[in-house]
Amino acid sequence: MLKCGMSGSQVKVFGKAIQALSRISDELWLDPSEKGLALRSVNSCRSAYGCVLFSPVFFQHYQWSTSVKVNENDSTTSNLNCKLGMKSILPIFRCLNSLERNVEKCKIFTSSDLCKVVIQFFCRHGIRRTHNVCFQESQPLQVIFEKNMCSNMLIIQPRVLAEAVVLFTSSQEEVTLAVTPLSVCLKSSSDEPMDLTSSVYSEMFVGPDEFDFFQIGADTEITFCFKELKGMLTFSEATHAPIAIHFDFPGKPMALSIDDMLLEANFILATLADEPSRASSPPSLCLSQKQKRSDLMCSTNNNSKTGKNATSKAPGCILRKAAPKRLYPNETQTDIPALENCGSPIMKRVNEDISEVPESSVSNTEEGPGSSYLRQFSCVFFGAVSSDQRQHFNYPFDSLATASDSEEDMNNGSSSTF
Amino acid sequence: MKFRAKIMDAACLNHFTWVSAMIAKLAKTCTLRISPQKLNFILSDKVANGGVSMWCELEQENFFSEFQVEGVSAENKAISLELMLENLSQALKTAWNARALKIKLTNKHSPCLTVSIELLSVSSSSRIVTYDIPVKVIPRKLWKDLQEPTVPVSDVSIYLPVLKTMKSIVEKMKNISNHLIIEANLSGELNLKIETELATHFKDLGNPPSASEDASQDRDPEQMAEVHVDIQKLLQFLAGQQVNPTKAVCNIVSNKTVHFDLLHEDVSLQYFIPAFS
Repeated sequence: MLKCGMSGSQVKVFGKAIQALSRISDELWLDPSEKGLALRSVNSCRSAYGCVLFSPVFFQHYQWSTSVKVNENDSTTSNLNCKLGMKSILPIFRCLNSLERNVEKCKIFTSSDLCKVVIQFFCRHGIRRTHNVCFQESQPLQVIFEKNMCSNMLIIQPRVLAEAVVLFTSSQEEVTLAVTPLSVCLKSSSDEPMDLTSSVYSEMFVGPDEFDFFQIGADTEITFCFKELKGMLTFSEATHAPIAIHFDFPGKPMALSIDDMLLEANFILATLADEPSRASSPPSLCLSQKQKRSDLMCSTNNNSKTGKNATSKAPGCILRKAAPKRLYPNETQTDIPALENCGSPIMKRVNEDISEVPESSVSNTEEGPGSSYLRQFSCVFFGAVSSDQRQHFNYPFDSLATASDSEEDMNNGSSSTF
Repeated sequence: MKFRAKIMDAACLNHFTWVSAMIAKLAKTCTLRISPQKLNFILSDKVANGGVSMWCELEQENFFSEFQVEGVSAENKAISLELMLENLSQALKTAWNARALKIKLTNKHSPCLTVSIELLSVSSSSRIVTYDIPVKVIPRKLWKDLQEPTVPVSDVSIYLPVLKTMKSIVEKMKNISNHLIIEANLSGELNLKIETELATHFKDLGNPPSASEDASQDRDPEQMAEVHVDIQKLLQFLAGQQVNPTKAVCNIVSNKTVHFDLLHEDVSLQYFIPAFS
């Protein structure tokens, strides 16, 4: 049960959060708790997750309660498990500048018996706009990711990142962040240019002095989806808060976060993993990679925790690439046995990667844009948000993904939930 | 084969960016010919282009502070490259506030034009941005297609009216018909007509002095020379002209071609549209 109200300028920030999350997927979870109202979004291939948590202080008033269902044997408390379609909610928060000017107050509340979220705008001249949005009952997903344990952390003003992002054309799906203790380079991670129609390779170096905080453990290069970065960037420009980037080695997810008194935003993105055994292979990212990726994705989905049947054509999916250029047929054959091991043991595979990927196997930034290893895609793991404390699920991913809301877990610092 | 050039002056850089943006509106791919004195953007009249051809020329010393080009051999001092104009124009757009711009021909995995821009960021530390634009080197045996077009002997030569006005008129006409008749005479009158009797008349435009004295003396100043052209091609040409040029001349060869000869300060642009066959 949720009841909250905000002013016109707060609506703009709220709307920007929804727009940023819309870049991740077509579905949005509205998840109120005592910590505040969380908006969560996960893309269907589980390679990107976004959560914006608005603290109660952000709103003019904020009321939240769990509903208690009394069954025959016990009573269960349940959160508002509310999942909205982006198509329904995004048009409501369109034209944010005019909303900011015209809206005096905005109330959002849920109707307990019907599965409806009501959004009311009290505008100037006595106009009141009411939107009733139906929601689906669905437990939100939440990612377990210890961002403070990452060895590399950068804090940068959004304006600087925005200047970098302008370089890349919208046709480029992935972007590579290459860091050394002395410099940071943002570059397009396309294959070697083969013909006129391939996209332009761009790179930009940013000096350490442009960062508010610069901590680099070792030379690293990570590749992630560009679209999700852009989403986060537009949101951060609205909040004028610096963005913190936490990352480790390729394959391990990276976190983009904004921490402000009133809200906390976290975007966890999966990064491309380097395949350590391929360190000596000739440089190519080719058709075989596409096959590998799509196979990985299908098998992950089969074992996916929520049992959703996500199609392989998810718009937010990092795995979808434009026509790949095929170079080395040999690689295709040797990769297939690797593929058979994927699927539910994907988690195990990630663990192997964690121990096997030595820093030196990370590609050298000086080699130029074309040299890259055959990469394997890894996914992020999730636990469901649940009011039941320490609820464990019977899934093979137990050791990484446990859902926990309890205070003790947070104090232990063993994992942090967003 | 070597090419390296540098622009240090902000005004030159902006002008070069503007030229590339204008050419990008006229064609998707074209040939860039680099020779020791000049840079040319060339579109030759292949069937793929619908028969239109374009020749744009600029003097390199008006733009570049450093300019070095070496062809394949000592006699052939020029290089011809084919590239997607959108890529070049996109890269140059980033350079609007740059300190310096360097262009050079590189061969990382395939030939590229590497554009390296030194930006002065807001926090006053300089930042280097690099773009590798894929290009295709055009071999010498195909260079004969890339010659400067000979200006045909035209029946009528006339100065054009304000291009923006012409463009908005042709825009409205394109919804009615697919082709348009351009006719002009030596009394400074230009008409744009389409089939359904809709016509726009421009008067008092003036005619440039004709190169060949005999032809103009024989011709009745009131007599119109006309050519039927595809509206889309004319519109594409006009759409590229955001700023009114210093000089704009239209030469009509009756029922054959219309030739537009523009001069934007120091950049000359020639555009040929063939008659509807």
